[in-house]
Amino acid sequence: MTKTRIAIASALAAALVLPVAAQAQGNTEKCYGISKAGKNDCQTATSSCAGTSKKDAQGDAWLSVPKGACEKIVGGKLTAAKG
Amino acid sequence: MQNPMPLALPDLQAAFAAHVAGGDRADLAAAVVGDSISAEARLRIYRHHVAYSLGSALAATFATVHALVGEAFFRSMAQRFIGQTLPTQPVLTEYGAGFPAFVAGYEPAASLPYLEDVARLDWALNVAFHSPADRRLTAADLAGIAPERLPSLSIAVPAGTALIGSCYPLHRIWNASQPGASAEAVDLSAGRANLLVLRRADDAAFIVLDAGEAAFVASVVEGTSLEIAAERATSAGPSFDLSTAFARLLALEAFAAPQQKLGDGPLKAPG
Amino acid sequence: MKPVAGIGLRSPHLAEIGRDRPAAGFLEIHAENHLGGSPAGQAIERLRESYELSIHAVGLSLGSADDLDEAHLARVAALVRRLKPALVSDHLSWSVHGGRYFNDLLPLPYTEEALEVVVRNVGCLQEALGRQVLIENPSCYLAFGHSTLTEPEFLAELVRRSGCGLLLDLNNVVVTAHNLRLDPCDWLSGLPGEAITEYHLAGHAVNDADGEPILIDDHGSRVGDEAWALFGEAVRRYGARPTLIEWDTDIPALSVLLEEAAKAEQVIQHAESDAARAA
Repeated sequence: MTKTRIAIASALAAALVLPVAAQAQGNTEKCYGISKAGKNDCQTATSSCAGTSKKDAQGDAWLSVPKGACEKIVGGKLTAAKG
Repeated sequence: MQNPMPLALPDLQAAFAAHVAGGDRADLAAAVVGDSISAEARLRIYRHHVAYSLGSALAATFATVHALVGEAFFRSMAQRFIGQTLPTQPVLTEYGAGFPAFVAGYEPAASLPYLEDVARLDWALNVAFHSPADRRLTAADLAGIAPERLPSLSIAVPAGTALIGSCYPLHRIWNASQPGASAEAVDLSAGRANLLVLRRADDAAFIVLDAGEAAFVASVVEGTSLEIAAERATSAGPSFDLSTAFARLLALEAFAAPQQKLGDGPLKAPG
Repeated sequence: MKPVAGIGLRSPHLAEIGRDRPAAGFLEIHAENHLGGSPAGQAIERLRESYELSIHAVGLSLGSADDLDEAHLARVAALVRRLKPALVSDHLSWSVHGGRYFNDLLPLPYTEEALEVVVRNVGCLQEALGRQVLIENPSCYLAFGHSTLTEPEFLAELVRRSGCGLLLDLNNVVVTAHNLRLDPCDWLSGLPGEAITEYHLAGHAVNDADGEPILIDDHGSRVGDEAWALFGEAVRRYGARPTLIEWDTDIPALSVLLEEAAKAEQVIQHAESDAARAA
């Protein structure tokens, strides 16, 4: 067994007895982005949309500009490399 | 005005499908009874319903994208997507896998280069939420294994797990887009983020990983041994601490329980 | 299943129903919302202790000339096996063509050709589930000129050939009759009453098409007076059955749904005591 392997083995073994892992697992770490309700269950096809019989859907995409929480996102390069 | 040769059902359904997808079909309109409400107006109700309800389904799945760009822009964008990609099955929570890639190439959204990553995060949360909550790996599952065997174990992640890397502070963007978020601005240049999306007992959530932890999880997902994962993590993040990271991930229930008892031969990934 | 009034179970109410277990005759879910592994699925399994369930499918596309989607059918069958509902239903409509799914209940021409298609598909469905299913009359916004049967005639013939039951949606009768210029009572009288196994009640919206009012089945309000009247008529004529309040748009507080169900329950009780007196 190499020295690195021994270090890895003991680090993993140590993790098992760290209080954070040993506690009853319903963990206490704060998580972001909790997704709860299945909001999509109201879109199933059993009912029809009121208010859609009059005109053809949706104007021209190219005339529309984003207008929402994106106004809070500032700085950075406009066309950045993807991560 | 009776059509002399009625459309056979497969042809009628093909024509109706084309109509719903946006094409006007004179043969279809001729098959429909019109009166003071024309055949065309009657047919449009169905087209609108399909477009509108699928747009609403996408808005529910991609709620953060929707909050970022607003209703009008989202509807336009969704309409384009729906025009090229209709669902292939009726479970609407499973519709939209291709939406993040579509967003990436959607020219009107080019000023929001992070939008694709937000869409990937929304999708991953949606997938995690609808994944089964199978039993998770606990410290106790591993306690009976001789420490020298731990490095050669490979362990699985549960269904619904996803690792989302972004050049942008994606968790901050996400937070700023939630209902009731503060008006505080998010600086896009605040650095990259690695997020781990998890199905938890009653919901789906994500946590922020550092570079070393992200490399560790990516390696585990790939199916490598813990030893290789640890080595990759150390080179990705020199301050990576294996004990702390592994303990944290165990506590978060980030790994799947083994399908066979541990310690009997190599640990197999479930599924 | 006894004739009682139930409500459609939608996710905004799931936690409250799980916690308080309010009195409701039964709960109906949409199959397509519960085919994944979300926490809602586990919550619904726990509700089986307190309620009878009904599974209402919306996407089997029983009117498609294409064959049924086997993968989807298998998922619905697995859900039915897991939840053991008292009732299983889908619609007299289609929503799939060429492997693409249109999220709507699209209309059929009422012809012998379409009847054969629906009879075949309902047969496949009943075989896959090992049980009878109920077929619901849809809300129609148009009729096809080459239809040779009325909708009630089509449904009656479907029942006769496939052995399915009927889910009679009275709001859909109101909507269809208005939009297609039919008399709702005439429509009702053409049905095989003994096949009716469940009633649906919901609200609709009024919109305009070519400047004329058209009724839209949006399930977004209380049941309208006309649907209540027609429900009373159906119960008098065909008897009380399990009756569902559906609400899918602008979902209100649970208490509003339960109030509507209590109203339906009164109609049912009234009919039951009348029937007992007559017997």
